[in-house]
Amino acid sequence: MKMRFGSLLAIMLLMPLYAAAQSEKPATTVWRTPWGDPDLQGSWSNATTTPLQRPAKYGAREFLTPEERRELDKETAVGTDKRGPLGSDQDVNDAYNAFWWERGWSDGRTSLIYDPADGRIPALTPEGQKRRRNRSDDDESYNGPEDLPLYTRCVIRAPLPRVPTGYDNNYEIVQAPGYIAIFQEQMHETRVIPLDSRPHLESNVRQWLGDSRGHWEGNTLVVETTNFSDQTSFEGATKNMRLIERWTRIADDRIDYRFTVSDPATWTRPWSAVITWHKAGTLYEYACHEDNYGLYGILAGARAQEKK
Amino acid sequence: MRANIRAIVRNLTAAIAILLFTTTSIALQVPAYNAPRLKGTTHPDLNGLWQALNEANWDIQAHAAQPGPPQFGALFAVPAGSGIVEGNELPYQPWALAKKKENFENRLVRVKVDDVRLEPLDPEAKCYMPGVPRATYMPFPFQIIQGNNRIVIAYEFASASRIIYLDKNEPSVTESFMGWSLARWEGDTLVIDVTGLNDKTWFDRAGNFHSDALHVIERYTPKSPDMLWYEATIDDPKIFTRPWKMSFPLYRRLDKTAQFLEFKCVPFAEELVYGHLRKETSK
Repeated sequence: MKMRFGSLLAIMLLMPLYAAAQSEKPATTVWRTPWGDPDLQGSWSNATTTPLQRPAKYGAREFLTPEERRELDKETAVGTDKRGPLGSDQDVNDAYNAFWWERGWSDGRTSLIYDPADGRIPALTPEGQKRRRNRSDDDESYNGPEDLPLYTRCVIRAPLPRVPTGYDNNYEIVQAPGYIAIFQEQMHETRVIPLDSRPHLESNVRQWLGDSRGHWEGNTLVVETTNFSDQTSFEGATKNMRLIERWTRIADDRIDYRFTVSDPATWTRPWSAVITWHKAGTLYEYACHEDNYGLYGILAGARAQEKK
Repeated sequence: MRANIRAIVRNLTAAIAILLFTTTSIALQVPAYNAPRLKGTTHPDLNGLWQALNEANWDIQAHAAQPGPPQFGALFAVPAGSGIVEGNELPYQPWALAKKKENFENRLVRVKVDDVRLEPLDPEAKCYMPGVPRATYMPFPFQIIQGNNRIVIAYEFASASRIIYLDKNEPSVTESFMGWSLARWEGDTLVIDVTGLNDKTWFDRAGNFHSDALHVIERYTPKSPDMLWYEATIDDPKIFTRPWKMSFPLYRRLDKTAQFLEFKCVPFAEELVYGHLRKETSK
């Protein structure tokens, strides 16, 4: 059989497009574990330059233009590389320079929140407003360790769901039949999630990272978490917040992660966000409480100041 | 004819030899227990919630029962234990044995650790990640999540976790509490080579300790559906005169409601670590 040069050329030109289209498709046969579950395993980072809530300047627009995205990436690169002269006050104050910051990737969106459509956290209920007014976050006492934020005390990095921060936004996923482990580099804890319909823990058993149950919906891992502690709060929610998270492999090096939170005592409606997880390098141990000189210094400094 | 007989005798001898060899080797080599495989792989399935059932966390060597702080009655007394160290002897260098005793004496007394810190020495009391092998025999469960390329072991105590690589062989690049774990299968035994451990953890509450030269080789062998045999070879030339071994069984938690739970102990340890820096009136 003879093939015209033209057809061959067309095939050659179209092949990469076809391949690209394939890698965007949800997995049906690829990305499977040996026991047949969708495969999310590996080292991942959810670092991103996309803000949780949409800045006013974008109005009703959900996506950045390619130019805006390029400009944002450039700004991020320049901003994090900025350093003052070595040893200067400016340099010391900007100590968290490029060495620390994880730039992350722009998700191409104007906000991580996609529902409601305005990209903002919904209005607080009257009860939620009252709680916010009574919050004593502004109390700057340093009488003992419990006066300091949980992160300074190295108890947890942040409550669930995890929204990316300045650095160490790394996760390791390992799967087994019936279980999924999500190891969080900060604070070196593992979410051990059973993939069955066993009931949640007794309602008096509250945990910093709650109590999670997962199941597969097609190629998507769906995890519901309850039993949160009242000593922590995601964006002002109560311990009764309900969290649904979804992980879907969309490429060799990407996972589409979405969460929906609802708490009628706090928000007038549920809201949802999407974050792209990218393949990351090796994870290392984030020991924090062990030899926490920072907290030592804060408390010792406060005592020294009182003696003045 | 004679040649034929000779040949038959020779063959018979060979046959008997082979028969003897195979039967003895069957008796010696065939494992008593054929562990279920991780589905879709040829390796044993070690997944589950496991826990040691021994008194090694108080003292890895044999010890009699001892009283706890008198104000608490029998609550915090030390249970007697027959030890997990093979041969029971820990081959300390003389100076290191003295240091072990000093560790024990200062385990709960505030001592000057450096220019900043004034605190008791016991790392468990301070809620430090427990290190390897200690994490394995603390009186808390731990979960093995065994994938096809990597394994996560999640320990309840201090939320310590390890990523164990079956798919990497590069050496450790830094030190850490839980170390750098590279694994391989030797038959049905998972062998984990642990390096990159720091010198900030102890083996037990008795003050038994190690340096940052610690090298641990762990072996996990399934012996029955609900039991793994654990063995660890401890090599630390800065502290000991020779390598030594510990071993004990790990049992599957079979409780109907058994589940991996949180034991984030940092808030429990803050008084012990920072209590002396509290504002007087806030006490």
